[in-house]
Amino acid sequence: MGRRRWVGAGLGAVLVGAVGVGLVVAPAGASAAPVLPPVSPEDLVSSVMTADRQPFAGEVEVDNALGLPAVPGVPQLANGTSSVRVWSGGEGRGRVALPSSDGERTLVSDGTTRWAYDSRDRTATRAPAGEGRPDNADNQDPTTAATQAIATLRQSSTVAVDGTAEVAGRAAYQLVLTPLPTERTLLREVRVAVDAETRQPLQLTVLAQGSGEPALQVGFSEIAYGPQDPSLFTFTPPPGTTVRDAPARGDRPDRPEGDQGQRVGDGWDTVIVGRAPQGQPGQQPDGQQPEGQLPEGQQPEGAPDLSALGTPVSGPWGSGRVITTAVATVIVTADGRIAAGAVPQQVLTEALAR
Amino acid sequence: MTTLETRTPTRTTAPLGRLAAAEVRWVLRRPRTLVLLGLLALVPVAIGVGIALTGGPGDGDRDGPGLVAAVAGNGLVLPIAAMGLALTLLLPLTVATASADALAGEASHGTLRGLLLAPVGRTRLVVMKAVGVVTVAVLAVLLVAVVGVITGLVVVGGPSGTMITLSGTTLGLGEALGRVLLVAAWTVVQLLAVAAVALAVSAFTEHPLVVLAAVLGGLIVFGVLAAIPSLEWLQPLLLTSGWSAGTDALRDPLPLDGLVSSTGRALVYLVLGVGITVWRMRRRDG
Repeated sequence: MGRRRWVGAGLGAVLVGAVGVGLVVAPAGASAAPVLPPVSPEDLVSSVMTADRQPFAGEVEVDNALGLPAVPGVPQLANGTSSVRVWSGGEGRGRVALPSSDGERTLVSDGTTRWAYDSRDRTATRAPAGEGRPDNADNQDPTTAATQAIATLRQSSTVAVDGTAEVAGRAAYQLVLTPLPTERTLLREVRVAVDAETRQPLQLTVLAQGSGEPALQVGFSEIAYGPQDPSLFTFTPPPGTTVRDAPARGDRPDRPEGDQGQRVGDGWDTVIVGRAPQGQPGQQPDGQQPEGQLPEGQQPEGAPDLSALGTPVSGPWGSGRVITTAVATVIVTADGRIAAGAVPQQVLTEALAR
Repeated sequence: MTTLETRTPTRTTAPLGRLAAAEVRWVLRRPRTLVLLGLLALVPVAIGVGIALTGGPGDGDRDGPGLVAAVAGNGLVLPIAAMGLALTLLLPLTVATASADALAGEASHGTLRGLLLAPVGRTRLVVMKAVGVVTVAVLAVLLVAVVGVITGLVVVGGPSGTMITLSGTTLGLGEALGRVLLVAAWTVVQLLAVAAVALAVSAFTEHPLVVLAAVLGGLIVFGVLAAIPSLEWLQPLLLTSGWSAGTDALRDPLPLDGLVSSTGRALVYLVLGVGITVWRMRRRDG
């Protein structure tokens, strides 16, 4: 009898604990898809382009399963989930906070100046806003632009508004792009959730072939529209901060003009073939070297060491290393060419052989 | 006859305040409690002096990664960093010691029998013992916070009594102290969750060491479980997985999500621990 009571009490305690923790941590249950009036893809896209950008504050969750190699300093790129806090004040003003466990990177734009602050080394980088960004205020009518954009997409994909969803507590339309069966791509579909009321994109989901889970999902987990505190969009470097001016776009040393890469193919199986920046690995004198025997001291400061990544491949086009992720493939050849695309390896080698 | 009747004691219970004061005096007179509190006060002093000696920011090599690096030249971050560091092991050790002494310690001395035989409700006994543990927890956290603020302002210094947040904004002294107070309160709640579990273990054993081993071992096991990627689903159940939320107080605007969810989790542990303790003590034989 005594033992029975003990077992019962133990089970009860476990149950209470499980339920309690579950209640505390469980996210709000998935609710049924909201009912919204039907809308055509053209109307949806044009309404997104014409919509007024309202001020908002929100939290964006990045769920990354791209399989990218870990890049130091940008934990958001590696597999896993991370969250980003975003504030927008309209008129080009905004604030983004990228928290890490013991620091934070903050990006602030007050409409004329952009600041990037890193709490780890306490540096603030200043850049004039708008520079290097194409003028979005085209004279073109957004409705025409939307129709044209959809028409271009329709050459290679199926565009549809596929039902509705609830994202961050907002009713949203789901715009779905699916590659036509003739496209040789790693992607299965791309979904964009658009807020039914404010017509602001809320979530982007990229699904790859052969996987039910999204390869990448970026979307608001929380969003609140409304006027924001203007002090959020100003930045004064705190005392003890090193202030730097960002190098102007044209001054980037390792990007010669006209070397932006060449496009091979179109639609979903576009391959970009370019040349690796000078002095980068991939320019090793003999690319056949096995891993781990690369001569040291050849990499310039800051250049990513691509030679340690991927697996060696060779073919009629030469030899190099292939880096495969869930949604894209990259080949870095021994003679310094780079081919990249959301395509299987074979399409890349065909493009390189051209 | 009438005089005798007026002398009949009308009160059947001892005043709560007096009992609590007696328990607190009893707890605070233990040398081990005082030694642990003294050691805790040394944590912010050690960090502050270390940073003051190795130099502030801009000296090329930083003081290493972590929140401690943010303390350099920014003294008011020191109490928050110190509480974060102490919460990993020292603070739980302190409350676990107090909890172990409260029930298991009394049992090992044979004094618990007297308390159980006394005409005092068992629940009241647990409450009184809990008061002693709560006092130790609050004192320990306040000590780290206050010594941290003083050390931060005096030894480390800062930009004229302001706090630079991780987001690059500057907070005035009042708001900075508010943030320190918020982290202190949050830390106390987390510690009370540890203490409640420790009391529950303490109610089952008469060896104080078992309590210490269970609590510290449990914390280490939680750390190991949290580090295994395939057990990621377990994270929301672990008390320790919310303990990085203290850093959120250094962000601006203040994100409350992490602090609230970890507090909720701590409250679940607290309720469970207290419930099991009361349930066990109502049935315990000396």
